[in-house]
Amino acid sequence: MELIRLTNVLKQYDGGAVTALNNINLSIESGSFVSIIGPSGSGKSTLLNMLGALDSPDSGQVIINGVDLAKQKDLSDFRRQEIGFIFQLHNLLPNLNVQENVEIPLMDAKMSEKDKHRRALIFIEAVGLLDKRKQKPNKLSGGERQRVAIARALVNFPSIILADEPTGALDTKTGRKVLDVLRFVHESINATLIVVTHDRDVAKLAERTIEIRDGQVINDYYNR
Amino acid sequence: MEESVQTTFNEGGAEITVTNATNIGGNSGLLDMSFIDDLKNVTNVSDAVGQLSVSESPESYSQSKNIMGNMFYGINASKLNLAGISDVNGSIFDENSFEAIVGVRYCELNNVSIGDNITFLGHDFKIVGTFETGIVMKDNAAYISLDTLQNISDTQEVSSILVKTSEGANDTVVSQNIRDKYENVSTLTSSEMSSMLDDVIGILDTASLAISGLAIFVGAIGVVNTMVMTVYERTKEIGVLKSIGWKSKKILTMILGETLVLTTLSGIIGSILGILIAEIGIRLIGTNRFSLVYTPKTFILAFGITIIVGIIGGVYPAYKASKLAPTEALRYE
Repeated sequence: MELIRLTNVLKQYDGGAVTALNNINLSIESGSFVSIIGPSGSGKSTLLNMLGALDSPDSGQVIINGVDLAKQKDLSDFRRQEIGFIFQLHNLLPNLNVQENVEIPLMDAKMSEKDKHRRALIFIEAVGLLDKRKQKPNKLSGGERQRVAIARALVNFPSIILADEPTGALDTKTGRKVLDVLRFVHESINATLIVVTHDRDVAKLAERTIEIRDGQVINDYYNR
Repeated sequence: MEESVQTTFNEGGAEITVTNATNIGGNSGLLDMSFIDDLKNVTNVSDAVGQLSVSESPESYSQSKNIMGNMFYGINASKLNLAGISDVNGSIFDENSFEAIVGVRYCELNNVSIGDNITFLGHDFKIVGTFETGIVMKDNAAYISLDTLQNISDTQEVSSILVKTSEGANDTVVSQNIRDKYENVSTLTSSEMSSMLDDVIGILDTASLAISGLAIFVGAIGVVNTMVMTVYERTKEIGVLKSIGWKSKKILTMILGETLVLTTLSGIIGSILGILIAEIGIRLIGTNRFSLVYTPKTFILAFGITIIVGIIGGVYPAYKASKLAPTEALRYE
């Protein structure tokens, strides 16, 4: 089933001097694992921001789960309910502990505090950090921080998980462990996983790879 | 305060004070005693009394507890009511004696009471009574027999004449009549005096308001600066919160809430520091010259202003933060 459809998406910066996305057309199936690969400045992060409703196109249409994002007045609810973001540098809040960081997306959820704690602990356990739930991010290793970011991205049961270079700041071994965790939870909640990377080995782990250069899709293929 | 001043001037005291027009703060412009009887003959003047004021400068400022020096007034004991002194605790001084009645403020500053002796121009005076008029200058002075003060200060004249008008008379008209009749005198009615004090109070109020306004302005700039810096430092954090679905309104509320906590805490710390600094300051200056007054109104006002400044100072950075595009905020380093 089609979850995401991009039609003629154009995004330019600096008054048209830089074209980040040049009439992109794309369709992504629900529950799939897709990698987006390309060199720096190719437009892959801009594409991820479009998919995450963080940015809007200058022209064209972005439809996610049947919702035309251009027609939404406030995209914050959409982001909270549909999207789970994982950043290259985890971006955890330094003053909050692991559990509190994971609970941030649940702040406005209509559930009791007890249920929020329970939900957060399920995902903290899933990423293997239950014993460190009361620790602040500065006491964790890079890999552990990224696992907390994964738990935070998944705690709302999003339909789409967007990961922007999730292993970019980690060594190969730790990066692989993080990807294993990411794949495991993606399969557990059957969410669509889209990973932006410039690492071909990471890209190969996905079912499908979309290659971007100069704001255009130059290759789109299935890995298995 | 203004009402209190007006009431104090009108209660039983003289309505008009007559001085020599050439008197500019020194002793040169005294009035002859015979002039008292002349004034009694002016239409609508019911009574008049001469008053001599002599001050003794402190030997050194640091040794004096009264920064204005010791002020002694000489007046007839039977006419004290014209000087606004109606109630005396103890007894009134005898004429031609070395007895004195002193104001309550004088007693506080010099730590004296009824029965004690005070020295003035080399003479000892026994305190036989105390009084309170509500006027700082009088409550800070001593009143003795006019004859005695004239003798020890070697003069037979008076500094001013206090004039009581007839009941129902217009003080301003009487005052004008006196000036018309006697060219070399100046007059001041009690209403003019209170008006002058009103002006002084008004100037003090304006100055106080200006200083408070400046402090509030500087404080507001400080709060805005602090909050803007806080928002800048947390730009990426705001981007993360937006990316995970926080609404602009929630971010606005968060920043404003933090501003309020910050300003309330600063209000508490400021109040404590203010009290400490004032207490230390008053001890350094000297124990009796000033007294510190803490009223709930002062603290309520200070906290009210602090919170208003906090809200005003927090609105701009909070609004700015809430309007940040998530992608811009996430890119911020």
